[in-house]
Amino acid sequence: MTGKRLRIIAVMAVSLIFLLAWAFPILWSVLNSLKTDQDVLAYPPKLLFAPTLDAYRDVLFGSSSILPNLVSSMIISVGTTIITMVMAVPAAYALARLRFRGKKAAGFYVLVTQMLPPVGIIIPYFMILRNIGWIDTYQGIILIYLSFSLPFAIWLLVSYFEDIPFEMEEAAYLDGASRMKTLWRIIIPQVRGGIAVTVVFVFLNAWNEFLFAVVLSGNTVRPVTVAMFNFVSVEQTLWTKLAAVSVLAMLPVIILGVVAQKHIVKGLTVGAVKGGGRR
Amino acid sequence: MTTTDIASAPVGGGYDRLLARRERRFASALLAPAFVALTATTTFPLLYLVWTSAHRVDLAMPFTNGYVGLENYAVLLADDRFWSSLLVSLVYTGSTVVLQVVIGLALALLVMDMKRGQGWFRLIAILPVVLSPAVVGMIWRTFMLAPEFGIIDFLAINAGLGSQNWLGEPKLAMLSVIAIHTWQWTPFAFMVLLASLASLPDDIYEAARLDRASAWQRFYRITLPLLRPAIVMVIIMRTMVALTAFAAIFTVTAGGPGTATEILNLYAYRKSFTELSFGYGSALAVALLIVTVLISGVLFALRRAK
Repeated sequence: MTGKRLRIIAVMAVSLIFLLAWAFPILWSVLNSLKTDQDVLAYPPKLLFAPTLDAYRDVLFGSSSILPNLVSSMIISVGTTIITMVMAVPAAYALARLRFRGKKAAGFYVLVTQMLPPVGIIIPYFMILRNIGWIDTYQGIILIYLSFSLPFAIWLLVSYFEDIPFEMEEAAYLDGASRMKTLWRIIIPQVRGGIAVTVVFVFLNAWNEFLFAVVLSGNTVRPVTVAMFNFVSVEQTLWTKLAAVSVLAMLPVIILGVVAQKHIVKGLTVGAVKGGGRR
Repeated sequence: MTTTDIASAPVGGGYDRLLARRERRFASALLAPAFVALTATTTFPLLYLVWTSAHRVDLAMPFTNGYVGLENYAVLLADDRFWSSLLVSLVYTGSTVVLQVVIGLALALLVMDMKRGQGWFRLIAILPVVLSPAVVGMIWRTFMLAPEFGIIDFLAINAGLGSQNWLGEPKLAMLSVIAIHTWQWTPFAFMVLLASLASLPDDIYEAARLDRASAWQRFYRITLPLLRPAIVMVIIMRTMVALTAFAAIFTVTAGGPGTATEILNLYAYRKSFTELSFGYGSALAVALLIVTVLISGVLFALRRAK
């Protein structure tokens, strides 16, 4: 009896440690963002203090506002998402449902393009974009973001298209509907949920990207992941402001992650399950 | 696959052939935009990368630029910094992947047996994996690890270890970047393995219990073999990501102190964008690609093996 009880206590303790370990760095950033410049430097660290929104006011409306950077992140992420979806939905439908020669090879190609290390893409692309003057432009960043968002979106959508029963299309064809009409009127409404999930993940990945952004950004286009470096330098770190910026950068993706909670495993493992199976 | 029943239907008359041709045409039209974009953003830069790696492309000294054949690769093979960055990459990848899988699996087994509180794990585990590695790196570098300010250092002082220069001392810096990557991505392994644990059939365990198999036997003989595909998949995915990790190390240590945490990926970046020697940087990126392909080849062979 006592052994069982001890076991339960041990399990609870281990669980609490892990939950705390994962949540703490995020919670701690939130707490620090609500402190004054004096409270944040207190030793030992303060858990209880009078919260203030000063840091947020400063980073949003102060002299070194990151509002333009949040807008930058938003334009890049929304632009990437729209262009990716416009291209990926038809491609995924073709790969999932149509018969044509080279279908397997096409699916494999989409998968293999993901294996290229990002640094191997950015080196040549930096030189190309420099020559055509597209450094520090939205079109330059969004174009190169397609390299990771397209394969991801295509494979995720293929898995949703494959779930639709075939009879639906056949019935539509028998009624004399054209292929395009069938796709648009019958199939797409069936995969609305899958499209929504894909949109969430494509947006999330674009919002979080860093390597391409740090190379291609400048004074005009500078997403928040790059701009947060403004608050740390060798001489000093602006602790509360950095915390506020981190929280603002985390907020959209945490909301999206929690909203898409049920689909997150599928979103994280897409391609791997299918890809390896199709040899 | 659902396509087979239609694909295997007899295609006899001219009308069927016409339909098949129309379907092919429709498929090409649907695929064309995505494939043009993919080729332009992945295949074309790859070819350009290989071409650049055979050239001297130095933005700081453009007058020396030109075709050099395999010279960059010869330099690379004799470059100590290349070999050390490769070693750092392998240590970083190997240790983070093992830690993620071991901790993730142990935790999944633990949570699977919990009657209450599973929801908390499912919710909290999402937080790290949806964050940008750049932001994660920044939070760890400052609020967690900064000497005499970060919480980890606070705990170390109170534990009697004294304040440590977590990111300034080579061994500690390496441990720190490994810990940060493990912190962020163990929830991934945990969630995937928990999902596949939940999908295992109950009746096998019932039979094992009737046979009085011990908990360890049940794990070793039943759970582990059934989970094997999921575990191998996690290993493959995490290996690919760890090999090309960039943002977290870049924000936390930038490869330093010196080159203590400089993985091959970061070396290729520094060579190109800090020292502006794009030819040699390209050769390093090609080397990284070769390493990635070799390792994934081994892992996929592992997946196929029984």
